[in-house]
Amino acid sequence: MSWGDLLAILQGAVVTVTLSFAGILIGSPVGLALAVLRWADVPIAARMVAVYVSILRATPLVTLLLLLFFALPNIGIAIDPISAAILALVMNTAAFNCEVWRAALMNFPKDQYEAAQSVGMNATLRFRRIVLPQIVRASLPGLVNEMSLLIKVTPALAVVGVVDITRAAVRIGAQTYDPLPPFFVALALYAPIVFVLVSLQRWIERRQLRAEAA
Amino acid sequence: MTTVPMTRNPLSRRLALGMAAALLAVPALFSGAQAAGMDEIKKRGLIVATEDDFRPFEFVKDGKATGFDNEMIDDLRKYASFQVNQQILPWTGILAGVSTGKYDAAITAVIITKERLASLDFTSPIADATHFYVKRKDDKSISSIKDLNGKTVGVQAGSALLARLPELGAMLEKEGGKLGKVVEYTSYPEAYQDLALGRVDYVVNTVVNLQTMVAEKPGVFELGQAVSGKSYPAWAVAKGNTELLSFLNGFIAKEKETGRFAELQKKWFGEAFPNLPAKWDPEF
Repeated sequence: MSWGDLLAILQGAVVTVTLSFAGILIGSPVGLALAVLRWADVPIAARMVAVYVSILRATPLVTLLLLLFFALPNIGIAIDPISAAILALVMNTAAFNCEVWRAALMNFPKDQYEAAQSVGMNATLRFRRIVLPQIVRASLPGLVNEMSLLIKVTPALAVVGVVDITRAAVRIGAQTYDPLPPFFVALALYAPIVFVLVSLQRWIERRQLRAEAA
Repeated sequence: MTTVPMTRNPLSRRLALGMAAALLAVPALFSGAQAAGMDEIKKRGLIVATEDDFRPFEFVKDGKATGFDNEMIDDLRKYASFQVNQQILPWTGILAGVSTGKYDAAITAVIITKERLASLDFTSPIADATHFYVKRKDDKSISSIKDLNGKTVGVQAGSALLARLPELGAMLEKEGGKLGKVVEYTSYPEAYQDLALGRVDYVVNTVVNLQTMVAEKPGVFELGQAVSGKSYPAWAVAKGNTELLSFLNGFIAKEKETGRFAELQKKWFGEAFPNLPAKWDPEF
C-alpha cells in the first residue's frame, strides 16, 4: 500500500461522511414529518405513510438504489450516482426514523398537550414548545442508533459507482492483490466516525441534564 | 386536535402489497428502453461504463483509473468528434446499465457468450479470454487438468467463466474424474484471497487476468493449463445499437492498423494477440 492508496481511502472517508451526513440531515426531519402525519392521523396521508414505512423497511438498500438508478432515467429523470445514493439513503432512513419519532410521540403525555391547549397555544406553538423538545430527548438514543447503522450501510452504495471507504479499499486490494492492509485501514476509519456521532449524543444529553438541573 | 391511536386497517396492507407490486412493475413497463443512436450521442456525448477492480483491463492506482481499457478510452477521446463521459462502477451494475440505456457502452472485458448476445451486441474482441486455472504454488497435488478431479473451484458469480465450467467437467469426466464443489464470488480479488487461504483449491479466470496476477504474486500462485476452448472478451453495447457498434469497431480497427492496439496489449497483458477475429460467434 502506497501513500496514494492511503489518500484514496481518506477520499473515500470524505464520501462516506458526506453521504451519511446528507442522509441523516435530510432523513431525520423527513422521518419526523412522516411520524407527525401518522400521529395526527391526517386522513389518507397517515395511511400512505404507514404503507411507505412498511415497504421501505422491507426493501434492501442495494435493491432500492439499483431500482432508482436504473429505472428513473427510463421515465425521463436523469440521476447521477451521488444523488441516487442520497435519495436511497434518505428514503430508507426516513422510514426507520419515522418509527423512532412515532414511538416518542405515542408516549407523549396527553395531559401536557391538553394543558397547552387550555392556555390558548395554537397547534404550531404547542408542537414547537411543548412536544418537540421532549420527543427529541426521548428519540435521541434510537435516532443515533439508526444513524450509526446508516453510516455502516454506506458501502452498499458502491454498486452505482460511489467510492466510499470500503470501495476504495476493495480497489486497492484488486490492484495490489493484497487486500488485507487496505481493509484494516478502512475498519480503523469507521470507528472514529461513529465515535464522533456517539460523543455528540452524549454531549446533547449532558447539556439537557444540566439545563434540567438549573 | 387530539391523538388518536392508530388502528390496524386491513385495507392498508392490501394497499401496501399493491404498491409494492406497482413498484416492481415500473422497470418492467419501461424495460423497452431504446438505445441512443449516433445523432443523440453526438449531441450529448458518449457515456461509457468501466470497472474498477479488473486488473489489467481496468483498475485504479493511486486514485487514478488505469489499465488497457482506460488507455483505449484516452485514444477514443482523440478519435471521437464528440465528448466521451466515463462512469466507473463495479461489475454488478454494468451490463444492467448498458441494457437499460443508462450507459451507451461497457468498455470492459465482457466475454462474448450466446446468452449475453440476447440482450447485448459486442465489438471486435480486445484480447484472448481462454480460461485457465490458477493454483497455490505450494499445492503439490495439482500439476495437470486431471488433478483437478473433485477439487473445490472458485469463480465469479454470473460470469462467462462460471457458465463454461461444464466444459472443464467434461474434460475431467473423460479421465474418469468429476468437477468438485463450485464457490461463487462477487469479484475475483475475493476468489484469489480464498485461494491463498486454502478455502478453494483453484480459481478459473481468463489467461490475461491470471498471468497478470501470477506475475505480481509469483511466490503465492502458479498458472495451470487451459480449461476451455476459444473465448474472447469485447466491449458491449445495447442489442441493436448498430450505429454505435460500427463506430466502436471502426475505432478498434484503426487502433489495430496503427499498431497502437498491439502496443497497449503488450504493455498491459504482457503479449500482443495479433490473430484476434474482427467478429466472434461464440459456441457457448
